[in-house]
Amino acid sequence: MLKKTLLTLLAVLMTANLAFAAKPIVIAHDATWPPMEFINAEKQIVGYSVDYTDAIAKELGITVEHKNVAWDGIFAGLANGNYDMIASSVSITEERKEKFDFTTPYFEVKQAVILAADSAAATLADLKGKTVGGQIGTTGVFVAKKDGGVVTKEFDEVGHAVEALFTGRIDAAICDDVTAYDYVLNNEKYSGKLKVGFIVEADEKEYYGFVVKKGNTELLNLLNKGIEAVKAKGIEAELREKWVGK
Amino acid sequence: MTVEKKEVRIAVTDGMLIPSSKDKTLVSAWTISLCLAIGTILYLCITQPKPYYEILKFLPDGIIVTFQVTISAIFVTIPIGLVTGLGRLSKNRAINLIASTYVEVIRGIPLLVQLFFIYYALGEFFQLPDLASAVIAMSVCYGAYMGEVFRAGIDAIDKGQTEAARSLGFNPRETMFLVVLPQAWRTILPPVGNEFIALLKDSSLVSILAVSELFRRGREYASVTFEYFEAYLMVALIYLLITLLLSKAVSIMEARLNYYDER
Repeated sequence: MLKKTLLTLLAVLMTANLAFAAKPIVIAHDATWPPMEFINAEKQIVGYSVDYTDAIAKELGITVEHKNVAWDGIFAGLANGNYDMIASSVSITEERKEKFDFTTPYFEVKQAVILAADSAAATLADLKGKTVGGQIGTTGVFVAKKDGGVVTKEFDEVGHAVEALFTGRIDAAICDDVTAYDYVLNNEKYSGKLKVGFIVEADEKEYYGFVVKKGNTELLNLLNKGIEAVKAKGIEAELREKWVGK
Repeated sequence: MTVEKKEVRIAVTDGMLIPSSKDKTLVSAWTISLCLAIGTILYLCITQPKPYYEILKFLPDGIIVTFQVTISAIFVTIPIGLVTGLGRLSKNRAINLIASTYVEVIRGIPLLVQLFFIYYALGEFFQLPDLASAVIAMSVCYGAYMGEVFRAGIDAIDKGQTEAARSLGFNPRETMFLVVLPQAWRTILPPVGNEFIALLKDSSLVSILAVSELFRRGREYASVTFEYFEAYLMVALIYLLITLLLSKAVSIMEARLNYYDER
């Protein structure tokens, strides 16, 4: 009798455990990419993608945990299972799709080239032989390398590239347009000194997606459902207004 | 009566070119490591040319930059070290204090922070090219350590040598440069070789300044292909291979310098 009671109790406890201790989904951000994900004055990870994933979590009734990770190893960490997903302004590319799974797009970007305010360059061709800085392993660097005419310099963080442009070490910096505009408009130090020179014309549109480990369809479907809900409810538009403006 | 001053030269070129190894064991840790490094690189490139051989082909210019940074830094470090070492031994209080303070301050700041300081912080006032920033930061950092090496080497020379030289009519400067330093070299050279190896390894930190040296090349490759394990394994093996060869060179040099002591 006692044994039976204990067993029942154990069974109850175990199911309860499963229900209550739903593990939070750990999201990796490289928080050096304003206004998408960055560290604010209160040392918190904030930005468009942080709010976006929080909104998804709210819609789906799940808990998430945000983690700040260096860009350089962000994909390796996902492959090694250090976190469940990446929400870090990752552009959907063929090469990346081979190794990882992407959700439906949540943001469209173009590659923008930041120049000194007095520079007259209007295309990458005008910068032939000049040095263009970007962040290692980002689409901006890929675009600059593909162009072939410019010398590409790969920094650890996009902020380093912008600073190097500001101090005149390099001639231009390339990154996603949202980030580029954020640096030249919302940053007191750079506004007036730097400008978004031009947008690189691309054959295909470029979108951000959330990244999960290859074959993690369960989480992928969950996220896609969340993205759909966030778009349908108009939350996406609100967030855009809040972080990106026009 | 004047004493004729002859320049003292310590011959370090006598004896066998490559001294016979003192340890009579057939297999040393060095041999095992070298065979492991070369063997692994060859094995990987032959059995899995894609990605390993691809990675290997991507790295050579990075290796050249690594050597450029290291060798330039050595050339700047040695004079800094010598001046610091002599300054630390100086009887002049001011000179001694300046040299000692420099050593204290520099040894208390991590090299990575010094690199950022020179490249980004000082970049607000004047810009040095990346390679120059890297070389200066590393030389300033290692100059302090090298200063200690020089000081210890000079300290190790018997006081009698100085006294003898002075009583023969050499002035303090001549005593230092003609009598003490040529002998101190034998104590100093091997640790300098080891500093050289440490410098080469620490040059990987320069990759943070977007200088495309060996480590950075590996990172660039990995950032595009996501082959982290393969890229960093290859980089590690190449660093190992280079440092093994250098450490052998240092130990050969050490044995040749001690040729006289062992007869």
